[in-house]
Amino acid sequence: MKENQNRIQWILILKWGLVLLCAFVIISGAFTNRTSSTSFQDMRKQVVKAADLTNMKKADDQMIRRLYGFDPDSFDGIVLYYPKSNMNAEELLLVKLKNEDQRDQMEKTISNRVATQKKSFKGYGAKQTAMLEKSIVEVRGNYALYISAKNPEKVKAAFDAAY
Amino acid sequence: MTFNSISFIFLFLPVVLILYGLLKGETKKLIVLLVMSLLFYAWGNPAYLLLLLFSIAFNYLTGLEIGEWRENGCEKRAKAAMIAAVCVNLLLLGYYKYTGFLLSIFHIKVKGPDLPIGISFFTFSVLSYVFDVYQKKTKPQRNILKFAVYVSFFPKISQGPIAEYRDLEDQLTGHPVTREQISDGSRLFLIGLFKKVLIADGLGSAMASVQALPQMASATAWLGMIFYSLQLFFDFAGYSDMAIAISEMLGFKIKKNFNYPYCSESMSDFWRRWHISLGAWFRDYVYIPMGGNRCSKKRQIWNLAVVWFLTGLWHGASWNFILWGLYHGALVLLDKFVVGKAFRKLPLAVRISVTTLLAFFGWIFFFTPTLGDAASWVAQMFGSAGLGFWNQTTTYYLRQNLLLLVLGFAFSGPFLGEKFESVTIGSSRLKKGIYLGSYTFLLLLCIADMISNSYSAFLYFKF
Repeated sequence: MKENQNRIQWILILKWGLVLLCAFVIISGAFTNRTSSTSFQDMRKQVVKAADLTNMKKADDQMIRRLYGFDPDSFDGIVLYYPKSNMNAEELLLVKLKNEDQRDQMEKTISNRVATQKKSFKGYGAKQTAMLEKSIVEVRGNYALYISAKNPEKVKAAFDAAY
Repeated sequence: MTFNSISFIFLFLPVVLILYGLLKGETKKLIVLLVMSLLFYAWGNPAYLLLLLFSIAFNYLTGLEIGEWRENGCEKRAKAAMIAAVCVNLLLLGYYKYTGFLLSIFHIKVKGPDLPIGISFFTFSVLSYVFDVYQKKTKPQRNILKFAVYVSFFPKISQGPIAEYRDLEDQLTGHPVTREQISDGSRLFLIGLFKKVLIADGLGSAMASVQALPQMASATAWLGMIFYSLQLFFDFAGYSDMAIAISEMLGFKIKKNFNYPYCSESMSDFWRRWHISLGAWFRDYVYIPMGGNRCSKKRQIWNLAVVWFLTGLWHGASWNFILWGLYHGALVLLDKFVVGKAFRKLPLAVRISVTTLLAFFGWIFFFTPTLGDAASWVAQMFGSAGLGFWNQTTTYYLRQNLLLLVLGFAFSGPFLGEKFESVTIGSSRLKKGIYLGSYTFLLLLCIADMISNSYSAFLYFKF
């Protein structure tokens, strides 16, 4: 009987200890991990490595301004790979924001870009449209990612792992 | 990792099968299954592996606790442990799946956390274990390795079927693999791959293209609804076939998840054929404990309404899914209490057509992001766009996807499959040759399509 009580006690300690640990990880993740300490160089390296850039080329500041309408100097870091041809829909944008106020605007700008692209391919580019439909936009903490590719999940996974 | 990726088919699965076949002894085999299942789960995003491990450890300990309290004669404490486990599991599921939705009800615009893959499925698996132990349908599992394999078993972790614990319990102790199982499993895996890669993905591209249209003629909107309805079935049924097939190759028997749902004779019948494991879960752990149909008519209607509300909510955190659940609930209630008898007197073809049409109509809530979008789609089906019933775009989409539609409808029923089996299964050399040749050709076709087309995720992953 006493042995049985001891077993129950151990089970309860372990069980609720695990619950506390899990709650701590979730709560600390929700409140303290809002921004990432990963440097832009490291993040760019991981994300670009996971992407297939065959149909994309690197954009200069002027092209970034033209396609997205924002000033590249207003961020801690930015890299854009845009479609090599008008017939492609592949695109990769990675931005490290300077402050949280930039987040909403960034989300809107990327959504507008995706909407414009969808409109461009509407009616004739079934494959491109399908690719844009499953493109991923992630604005999290101090980073923003937009990826339109054959396998966007792979790039998103690299982003998540590096975040 | 998913079943329809080259790395899974040519690397992961063969490695698992070879290791599993080479190793002798139950424990070693279970260790291989556990390690490979955790690797499979962590492949794309390892961040949620800890959550899965927590779920395994917490529910394993809960099972032990219920058993210990019961041995001590403390039934109330056993009940408290069960309730605590339900709360913890549902809180976790709620946090990851419904935070954003709940906050949006109060107009708080906060993006919820990313949804861990398979959380809806493995939460229901562990809850089935806790309920089974509490209801004395099974004993607490003392071997954590076996329990961990039950929860994390890679064929079913990300998209089900939600195998109830008592169905797999005995198989965790002994599951010899025979040559017939490997052969049947391989065949079923190929059929599943065919459904996903050659039918569902093709229909998915067509649907994405239709969805991108700014406005549609009535027939195009109807066509879009049909594209999606067939895509969803072949996508999910294809995955389930592959999951059951891999389990079979590893010596586990998992019940089938689909039984030609688009051949159903009524909505009640549809739910005995569509996502069978989810329906069985709600029946066993919600509907029957609430009193099922052994109670007054009023109570029965309430029980069904609760089950259908929860079924809708399980599918996703949005009003669309809740309304979809209630829509099906209302149809089942109508079938059960109002029009069922009269409906069953109609010719079989009419019954099947009406049921399928009602099911197709319900999927509109699935592929539209908001209720407004769903209403707009329905309005376009009845001509709100002002483009008439039929236009050139309709003809274009119909022509482009006619073969897929024919294949989709043809393989929605058992006839073609049964006919093929009758021609190919037998002991003659010719039959064996046709059998082997057909499946080899199917494999090559699937692989070619997987290489040439972009990777496509399964629709039910997001649930």
